[in-house]
Amino acid sequence: MEKYPHIFQKGRIGKIGTKNRIKYAATETNFPFSDGYVSDKEVAYMEAQARGGAGVVTTQGAYPDKRGEGKGFMGMMAICDDRFIPGLARIADVIRQNGALSSLQILHCGREGGVELDYCLMPSVVPQKLSYFKPPRVITKDEIKEAVKDHIDAARRAQDAGFDMIELSGIVGYLISTFISRYTNKRTDEYGGDLRKRCKLMIEIIQGVKAQVGDMPVGIRLCGHELLDDRGGNTMEESVESFKIAEEAGADYVSVTVGWHESSQSVITRDVPMGHWLYVAEAVKKRVNIAVMMAFRQFLPHIPEKAIASGQIDFWEVCRPMIADPELPQKAREGREDEIIPCIACNLCFSRLYYHQPIMCSVRPTLGHEGEKSWGYYGFPRIEKKKKIVIVGGGPAGLQCAATVAEKGHSVTLFEKNSQLGGNILLASKVDDGAIELLRPIKTLETLCQKAGVEFRLGVECTPDMLKEEHADTAVIATGSIIRTLSQGILTPHDVVGEEKNPGRRVVIIGGNGVGLGIAVFLLRHSDYQLTVIEESGRVGRDVNPFYLWQYMGLMKTKKVVFLTRTRVSGIEGTLVRVSGPSGEKMIETDSIIMALLEPAKNRWETVQDIAREIYFIGDAKKPRRINNAIHDGYRLGMVL
Amino acid sequence: MIPIVHKNTCTGCGNCAEVCPPQAISLLDEKAHIEADFCEECGFCAAECPVEAISIPFPLSDE
Repeated sequence: MEKYPHIFQKGRIGKIGTKNRIKYAATETNFPFSDGYVSDKEVAYMEAQARGGAGVVTTQGAYPDKRGEGKGFMGMMAICDDRFIPGLARIADVIRQNGALSSLQILHCGREGGVELDYCLMPSVVPQKLSYFKPPRVITKDEIKEAVKDHIDAARRAQDAGFDMIELSGIVGYLISTFISRYTNKRTDEYGGDLRKRCKLMIEIIQGVKAQVGDMPVGIRLCGHELLDDRGGNTMEESVESFKIAEEAGADYVSVTVGWHESSQSVITRDVPMGHWLYVAEAVKKRVNIAVMMAFRQFLPHIPEKAIASGQIDFWEVCRPMIADPELPQKAREGREDEIIPCIACNLCFSRLYYHQPIMCSVRPTLGHEGEKSWGYYGFPRIEKKKKIVIVGGGPAGLQCAATVAEKGHSVTLFEKNSQLGGNILLASKVDDGAIELLRPIKTLETLCQKAGVEFRLGVECTPDMLKEEHADTAVIATGSIIRTLSQGILTPHDVVGEEKNPGRRVVIIGGNGVGLGIAVFLLRHSDYQLTVIEESGRVGRDVNPFYLWQYMGLMKTKKVVFLTRTRVSGIEGTLVRVSGPSGEKMIETDSIIMALLEPAKNRWETVQDIAREIYFIGDAKKPRRINNAIHDGYRLGMVL
Repeated sequence: MIPIVHKNTCTGCGNCAEVCPPQAISLLDEKAHIEADFCEECGFCAAECPVEAISIPFPLSDE
């Protein structure tokens, strides 16, 4: 019997049937060219998504207007002219050829648009909370008519390109959502006022598109709960009602989303429990009689399975978990959940979009390289000469390298000094609520290594001499970093987080990067401390993703953590730490000192000659950085061995 | 895409180096220098630069 009978049952959207209840959700990638044309990279990525087994595959949002007011990302796909149809058709083709239905999303970014302009269009001028976005200008009535027509023309092009469905997007601050929300729509004409009036733009677009495309299903993504109470946004009741209005206007399916980019609470980070937002979808489902879908932190298949069974949703939309592993549907169906490369909600992908860079994935280095054979997304060719490869260190870098080279057919031995795999991730997984999810990719890599025949030597600290005795063709050093030493009696991250040694009430943390801040968060979540963080550069948390940094800084502000930037420790005398900074030298009295500055372990190994025919350093052993660097280092080395 | 430093515009203020997650930027002869091996192509440096001396070479199509 199938483990997920509800996910893998047939479904229906408008007049067409789907093979299952999984829909790859629209995701911007920045893979297309900056002039809006589809690139080979985007086509290869969409092909991977279609081959992964989802019933419906949605394209990234394409902007419908020629001036680029709707364009919110440098590499956003365009559908504002007939000349884009051939490129879009390539995407429709690869989706169809791989047995999925295709939905093209039309997206006018509204408040978040005009990426190459010096303004954005909005129903009313409401200043940006996020300084990244462009100053708003009021959209005129003529321009509203033009926007409606742009959406209709875009739908016609999507139909010509061979797509099966159209999706409209009205979420997070995009044009349609700014009309629906009370926060951003202060108009006094027929497009503003009560909810129904604020929905007028949406109604006109849905009706116009429906009239254009005939029987083709048309869906819309709307916000079910804006989380903008602090800024005068819609109530949840109003938001839910907007779905009903969309249904009445002719929508064939709705996708329920939560939060705006300006919401001041977490929505998609690890501290939000999986499945948390399903109550919003359920409220919509009770109100409408068309297919209801949701993405949002449903990372494990048993969550949507239950949600579909209990009538909260009809379709499971998958966004980040399928960026991390497009084969998620297929693996879930075949009972290979332990091989699914798990999204860790680090939001590296998401944040990159706003820095004009193509998305990247911490746990899947092949993202964006699906079409390049050398990257091995569909597997590597069997190697000609089998090598004996010894890897020292079972953290993310070592494990990823081991899994990759073992799958290629090499003989692989991996040493790990602890009895448990994971390296520094074992510590990171304890720092904050939800951080335990960081252990998921470790578990997957362990499984992949086991299936590929990696020999694990756990609890064995491999020294340079021992390594030499292995007579390896290739040695890979992935031992992680070493803690900088300053004087005796200083605690390490391992002491505090791993062994839970309690520091005194007054604590000085040396180093304000991710490690130092992680320790601060860990301590503050457990008890009250008087913390001082000393950072040599002018800024703390440079290597913490913005999605998490604002939460951490908020916590530290509340707990009155003192940050001393452009400051270094010049000496330690008993309970006194001597620091020198912009305002000269001073002494800080403290009960405990924690060292959070790391150094590469490389030096220790470079002094020994002839360890192996070739020797490589990856991860923190090469240079202390983050989990994405460790995994990418391991994979990239594995590719060429 | 590894960002490009326009040496003539760069004032050597070092702001880019302070936001670089993998610490891949240093000042060489008072100009920002990106070590390609460690650059993770995040684009933070380009966003931070006060004089637009760092750009991301976002490609155009051949059309």
